[in-house]
Amino acid sequence: MSYFIFTIFDIVLVLSMVWIAWHLLGTEDIFKAVVLFISFGLLMALAWVRMRAPDVALAEAALGAGLTGPLFLSALRRMNRTRKGERRLDSDETR
Amino acid sequence: MSWMHTLFALILLPAIIVGLFRILRGPTAADRMVTAQLFGTCGVAILLLLSTGMGNPVLLDIALVFALLAALTTMTFIRRTWHGSGKKKHGYSIP
Amino acid sequence: MVPVKKNMDILYHSGTLLILLGLPFFLSGTVGLIRFPDIYTRLHALTKADNVGLGFVVSGLALQSGSWAVTAKLLLIWLLVLIASSASCHLIARSAMQKNIQPWTRQ
Repeated sequence: MSYFIFTIFDIVLVLSMVWIAWHLLGTEDIFKAVVLFISFGLLMALAWVRMRAPDVALAEAALGAGLTGPLFLSALRRMNRTRKGERRLDSDETR
Repeated sequence: MSWMHTLFALILLPAIIVGLFRILRGPTAADRMVTAQLFGTCGVAILLLLSTGMGNPVLLDIALVFALLAALTTMTFIRRTWHGSGKKKHGYSIP
Repeated sequence: MVPVKKNMDILYHSGTLLILLGLPFFLSGTVGLIRFPDIYTRLHALTKADNVGLGFVVSGLALQSGSWAVTAKLLLIWLLVLIASSASCHLIARSAMQKNIQPWTRQ
């Protein structure tokens, strides 16, 4: 019973990680990509936990949630547009 | 090893995955950041449940790191990425 | 199989009941995040319902843990999540007001 539930948990986790990675690489909105990267770090920590490597999960949690997310967010303001049609933040923030 | 806690963690995993839709089509940047915060809270709950489900008390420390660093990303977002460019101090008129 | 005392059995089952009670709060927080029309209402749904759900899960796990050190660590986790969530909710709502984002009204 436990093995069965763990298997379903792993399958759902891996499929959602692949889905996040697909959208992360495919999007043109860089802010959306940054937020997707932060979420990917969280699910990656869960995946390390399931691979029975809690130390790597601890490092992934500290780096992904505490270091690279704020670094990307503060780099986002200083970045120049490198390509036409690439958006740093949302253009229309009406609601 | 208890399969019931793993089942609870498996129930919480769709709460994260459904939240991804809000990242993909959130109108403003704040919606996407709020979804990242939902991921933090749900991830902490999943880690706590997996800690009992896998019989590994080390996972409590990973959840502690997540809880410590959850506010850091949002505060960096507010201070560095999303501030300014508003004309008035409190812009909207209360109806 | 080690014979379990009756007291521990009652604690274990009440802890399971508390965890089961906390799960709908998480799911309703996610449903609110998807369905609500506004950033303010989404903040409201998310930062309140999720913390109540996490409180139920933490209290259920603390009843099942059976040691004071694990209980203290669980309560510390819940306290940290509460502080982080309320602080960032306030910051995001204030910053959204300063950026002239209108609250949703029913026409």
